[in-house]
Amino acid sequence: MFKAIVSAETLSSTLDSVSVLVDECKIHLEEDGLQIRAVDPANVGMVDLSLEAAAFESYEADGGLIGVDLSRLEDIAGMAESGQLVQLELDEETRKLHIQIDGLEYTLALIDPDSIRQEPDIPDLDLPAEVILEGKDINRSVKAADMVSDHIALGVDDADEFFYVNAEGDTDDVHLELTPDDLIDLQVGSAHSLFSLDYLKDMNKAIPTDTEVTLELGEEFPIKMHFGFAEGQGQVTYMLAPRIQSD
Amino acid sequence: MTDWTETYRPTTLSEVRGNNKARDQLREWAESWDDHRKSVIVHGSPGVGKTSAAHALANDMGWPVMELNASDDRQADVIKRVAGEASKTGTLTAGGAGRRLVILDEADNFHGNADYGGSREVTRVVKEANQPIVLVANEFYDMSQSLRNNCETIEFRDVSKRSIVPVLRDICRREGIEFEEAALEKVAESTSGDLRSAVNDLQAVAEDAKRLTEDDVVTDERDRTEGIFDFLDALIKEKNAEEALRASYDVDETPDDLLNWVEDNVPKDYHGAELADAYEFLSNADRWLGRVRATQDYSYWRYATDNLTAGVAASRREPKGGWTRYGPPSYWSKLGSTRGTRDTRDSIAQRVAEVEGTSLATARRELLPYLSTMTHHCSNRDLTVRMAGAYDLDATELSFITGSGESTNKVQDIVADAEARSAKQAVEHGGNAFLNASTSDSSASETSGDETTDGASETTTAADGDGQQTLEKSGTDSDSSSTAADPQEDGEAETSDDQSGLSDFF
Repeated sequence: MFKAIVSAETLSSTLDSVSVLVDECKIHLEEDGLQIRAVDPANVGMVDLSLEAAAFESYEADGGLIGVDLSRLEDIAGMAESGQLVQLELDEETRKLHIQIDGLEYTLALIDPDSIRQEPDIPDLDLPAEVILEGKDINRSVKAADMVSDHIALGVDDADEFFYVNAEGDTDDVHLELTPDDLIDLQVGSAHSLFSLDYLKDMNKAIPTDTEVTLELGEEFPIKMHFGFAEGQGQVTYMLAPRIQSD
Repeated sequence: MTDWTETYRPTTLSEVRGNNKARDQLREWAESWDDHRKSVIVHGSPGVGKTSAAHALANDMGWPVMELNASDDRQADVIKRVAGEASKTGTLTAGGAGRRLVILDEADNFHGNADYGGSREVTRVVKEANQPIVLVANEFYDMSQSLRNNCETIEFRDVSKRSIVPVLRDICRREGIEFEEAALEKVAESTSGDLRSAVNDLQAVAEDAKRLTEDDVVTDERDRTEGIFDFLDALIKEKNAEEALRASYDVDETPDDLLNWVEDNVPKDYHGAELADAYEFLSNADRWLGRVRATQDYSYWRYATDNLTAGVAASRREPKGGWTRYGPPSYWSKLGSTRGTRDTRDSIAQRVAEVEGTSLATARRELLPYLSTMTHHCSNRDLTVRMAGAYDLDATELSFITGSGESTNKVQDIVADAEARSAKQAVEHGGNAFLNASTSDSSASETSGDETTDGASETTTAADGDGQQTLEKSGTDSDSSSTAADPQEDGEAETSDDQSGLSDFF
């Protein structure tokens, strides 16, 4: 059983956060909220999302699992004007999701969850450095780096205590240093890893600029990015594997 | 119903059956990957366990897998984004030091519409990879040479009956099915080396049975495409006419390509009179192919195939044996490498055809050889000059016809002479038409220019007159009709016109 009413904004940002990595995903309809976990086809990026029941206007579920085509559902959510409510109801018999937006009814055929890529286990990583910064600083870094290169180095200088972003192109370079004054918080540890900008760009799209984002970094290790949405009642964690530094 | 080929897919390399050598090579490749960092091509017939071995390998090594197979959309940008990224990136669990196995299934099939540009992108991904890549393919030679050169190669051979039977036996035991040994052998026999088909066949006949007897096994031999090399071997060395024709049905080549294959390889084994006979049939086949092209009636293909298979097989007079190194036809590469020469020839023939009023084909086939002989090495200099002038040949073209070097003084001289000659001729042939123009001063030439313009304007006037005439006609027509409709009014108008002119003066 699943029946919920949610604001269009919350639904859209939930879907957008996941759709940057995958086209289809499994959604766990737990009693206390939604859970989505997915890894992209290249096995390089991962998303772990939870949305508490409190983020919904009303929410009833008993632990079902559905598979959805994200772009379809995004399109439907896009039909709602801002501030409108979207009503979702699962028909267990037909395995279809009934969606209502102000009189507009849409019946979405679901995908067999078994046919969707297996959900990843969240690796247990011990990342030494932690940076907390505003979403807009990530946006700025990614945008600038994208002008010169297809990959970006993120790191923390543990001697001078600052967080840096480095992008080296064939001819041009981009460099950004953020000291603890510019950051919300910095936990120093030695960290330096290269990442694909294609992925970071996509992930950046889902990160609201006015949010606090926590980055966890290590030495040639995956990055973890945590941020909240829907007034803190939703949590997203992105993980991205590092580029291998070839010389 | 679960698919037994899935249920009993090997999970570790040691469970991979029938290709022990290839299996060990694959393990060796993976274990030493950090040293050589090369990708590997695993090729072999369908169903012999290539993809299974790759997955089993990943499992053994504890590497996460990224697989791209033919059911995925494999356009160049998808390959770049997915396979390219996966092969350059560390893992989510171990970061930059973590290995991941990238499996590109059906790597010989990256061409075609949906995968346009895919093949090139695969080569690029392989070259830039920082992770181990396994390319799985059926046809080794369907992959581009640059791709093959950048990879190590492991061949998976067809699985022998001896190796298939134990696999089937094992499955029967685990499924709790009693069986006759002969039944399993029959299943193994009929699939000729394809382990996956054998398991599928077994499931088909045994799934609901408690006991499997030999009589239950009714599966027929399945269609199998025969490799071109095996076919050539059979055609040239063993088969009689009918067998050769039948064998050609299983070869996945058009008669056009098949003709090239046979034509290029038959002289490696046939000699003397039998070779002449074989070429007689091949020439027949080629004529039928010509008819196909001309009429677009593809039912003629059968006669081409008859000739080039049965005919060639029937021409054999001496028994053949041993092993021959057959090679792909040189026809296409010859066409490619002679492109420039043929273009020169056609451009000459084009001009010869225009001047002589023949077709391009006639000029090329019947005139060019004579010209070439007559002017061989420019020995008949005067004739050569006249030819060069008549067809407006440049040094390259002249050297093509005469066989003399393009940069030699001889050729350069002739071209210069020919130009002077045709310039002179142009004047002579012009008679006195341009007499004024060529002798008189600028004003005279101006006049002559004017004259021409006048002439032109005269013609235009004449043309205009014609046009006007018709307009007048139509005008008169409408006038007369209107007159007919209302003659009185017309008459009044005319008079009033005259009068109004007068009254204006008053």
